Amino acid sequence: MRHPSRFLFSLLTVLATAAPAGAQAQVSAQRIERAAAEPQNWLTNHGGYDSKRYSTLNQITPANVKDLEQKWVVQDQVFGAWESNPLVVDGIMYLTERPNDVMAVDAKTGKLFWLYRYTPSPDSRVCCGANNRGVAMLGDTLYMGTLDAHLIAIDARNGHLLWNIQVGDVKLAYSITMAPLVVKDKVIVGVGGGEFGIRGFIAAYDAKTGKEAWRFNTIPGPGEPGHETWSGNDWKNGGASVWNTGSYDPVLNLTYWGIGNPGPDWNPDQRPGDNLYSDSVVALDPDTGKLKWHFQFTPHDPYDYDSTQVAVLADMDWQGKPTKVMMWGNRNGYFYVLDRTNGKFLLGQPFVKVNWSSGLDKNGRPIQTPQPTGAPTWPGVQGGTNWYPPSYSPSTGLFYFSVWENYASVFRKEEQEYEPGRNFTGGGAPVLSPTPGAPTIGVGRRGPINNWTNAVGSGATIAVDPKTGKRAWTFPQYDVTDAGMLTTASDILFTGGREGYFYALDAKTGKELWKTNLGGSIVMAPVTYRIDGKQYVSVISGHTLVTFALRN
Amino acid sequence: MRSLRLVIAIASPLFCAGLGLVATTQSAIAQAQDHQYSTSEIQAGSRLYGAQCALCHGNNGDGIAGVNLARQQFRRASTDDDIKNTVTTGVAAAGMPPFRLQPAELNGLVAYIRSGFDASGAPFKVGNVARGQAIYDKDACAACHRVRGAGARTAPDLTDIGAIRQPSAIQRSLLTPTVAMLPINRPVRIVMRDGRTMRGRRLNEDTFTVQLIDENERLVSLEKSDIREFEAGTASPMPSFAGKLSGDEIADLLAYLVSLRGL
Repeated sequence: MRHPSRFLFSLLTVLATAAPAGAQAQVSAQRIERAAAEPQNWLTNHGGYDSKRYSTLNQITPANVKDLEQKWVVQDQVFGAWESNPLVVDGIMYLTERPNDVMAVDAKTGKLFWLYRYTPSPDSRVCCGANNRGVAMLGDTLYMGTLDAHLIAIDARNGHLLWNIQVGDVKLAYSITMAPLVVKDKVIVGVGGGEFGIRGFIAAYDAKTGKEAWRFNTIPGPGEPGHETWSGNDWKNGGASVWNTGSYDPVLNLTYWGIGNPGPDWNPDQRPGDNLYSDSVVALDPDTGKLKWHFQFTPHDPYDYDSTQVAVLADMDWQGKPTKVMMWGNRNGYFYVLDRTNGKFLLGQPFVKVNWSSGLDKNGRPIQTPQPTGAPTWPGVQGGTNWYPPSYSPSTGLFYFSVWENYASVFRKEEQEYEPGRNFTGGGAPVLSPTPGAPTIGVGRRGPINNWTNAVGSGATIAVDPKTGKRAWTFPQYDVTDAGMLTTASDILFTGGREGYFYALDAKTGKELWKTNLGGSIVMAPVTYRIDGKQYVSVISGHTLVTFALRN
Repeated sequence: MRSLRLVIAIASPLFCAGLGLVATTQSAIAQAQDHQYSTSEIQAGSRLYGAQCALCHGNNGDGIAGVNLARQQFRRASTDDDIKNTVTTGVAAAGMPPFRLQPAELNGLVAYIRSGFDASGAPFKVGNVARGQAIYDKDACAACHRVRGAGARTAPDLTDIGAIRQPSAIQRSLLTPTVAMLPINRPVRIVMRDGRTMRGRRLNEDTFTVQLIDENERLVSLEKSDIREFEAGTASPMPSFAGKLSGDEIADLLAYLVSLRGL
């Protein structure tokens, strides 16, 4: 049956881009900038420079989502949480798996064109799993950061290495887990290692040659503004990692990066001061790396409240004035709206129970209320949310993300001496449990049987109205969730959770429209794309990437 | 059976050659007996572990494949001295460096591991296994619990309880069962939409379903949408033995339970 709207889709495809599926044109900087105009593709890690993870594809609707069926799967060849987020470019999916493998997959059938294996140095140290979150693409080249802190360029047609440069010193526990961000002719990456006493930075490289163009230290050195927020030599090992791909506003010509926790994580006594730019968002000029502005969410952080989340950019009416905002669901339990032209604080509201702070002042600075030794702190060490990519739908005007509710930790600080390349966390943070010794929530799912129960916390997908910071709706889950979000123009929210369910929710109401049990933890955000007029949705569950589309 | 310790003494040499695992497990039992670990030792070990060991072995001691320190599962060590040796010499092949520690620090580390990572450092004393088993039989624990295929299944099976619970937690279960009850073991009462009522204990639960073993020892999986009332009680069905047993009897019963490390 020829469906009129399907005909319209094919027509739109031709109109919207000069590069229909199969043509395999080069991915120019202009195409990435206008990613929203080619929704058949998923051109950057967060689906576009504004990181909305919102697609204008609307073939799958609340009415027909029940007719989704599995089209193909790719099995992961290695074990461990699979946090990768694929790109889809002109019918080809570029996907990474642990530790640093890259695959080019026919996005219609799941068949591989090529597999590239990079073996990181055995000296690689990563605090939280040998994760890689994906590649970036420019022209005919793919870019990947590696666990041993290299940046490599790969030929997208054949999977062969083009260049390989060192970004950070693996012996000092620098690593890269994020997908790089391509802006114009540069590839920008940040480094991980905040649990090992690194000094974080973001660096840009010439996309053709790999030559370093600029470097921004996320901890200012002597003579640089912000250095006064550190004492003595603490800045040298003060952490401030960059775990997640930044966002970019081409009009303002600013990139936005979430910066991780200061080190040692849990002992702030060892690093007096606000510890800039830890737990901040920094706005950097992509041509020069110059800092335009910063906003610190959690000064002098004793809780490991990384601001590793993704800046979601939107233009909206703010109190009667068209405003370029940035939305941010922070690990510290507050949801923020900032003016992204200058970093001005517009709104901040707690989205889960918070007792480390009694509120935010007029500039958005938290009024900190440290709990007595041995008493629980809400939210717990993994935060009210974490690195899981959120979504903003211009259609509903709501911001969506995964949260952990009723979840607390008991923080313990301890003096710790820095040793190069070794753990530098300064204490511990066990999860509060109702019975001593009871199983608790871990960084990842502990197994197929939930014997920790919701007594130690539970997860939810929530929608927040950015105008008020209040929840519009809550979709509760029994176990906690690390799943990212995807919204579409038909007002569907696709997400999942640790329990292995993959959901389509009504983005307006949070009502469940459809679910399927994929059996493995969903710890990434689904993506959507279109080939030959058919809309696909891909999600990783456990060790399997599953791709759905409507029944023929 | 006169004494479990005697059986171990006979069995160990026989099994050693072919079944290293059994030998290790049994030595661990022998090691766990007649020992007292103090709060100060355990807590000192906890701090040291957090600073030096947790990065690789994990906060729960299960960060390395095949090793679970909190559950006394080791690749090489079995006695307290074995653990100390591994720490001080390292395991080059597995990438574990040698650690230079004082004897008191090593004792603390061992106490923390033997306590099953009880950061609270609750002290515990283990007595005599055979006397403990006699108390277990006399007090009819098997009316609800099961050990190596004997006894009821309505309460948790205890065959490997010594491997999965901290000694201090088992002690707490004997004295204050309601306080010690794990959330998953809370007695549930469920009324279905069709009016059926069932009681049991949860085995697993997620957003949409719950799996139980009911009071007739049947495995039941229910859709939450079919459930009208769902109650998880916070009072343990198990009686407290505080005041019923002497301190030495509790230590003996604890010794028996700690010795149950699976088959």
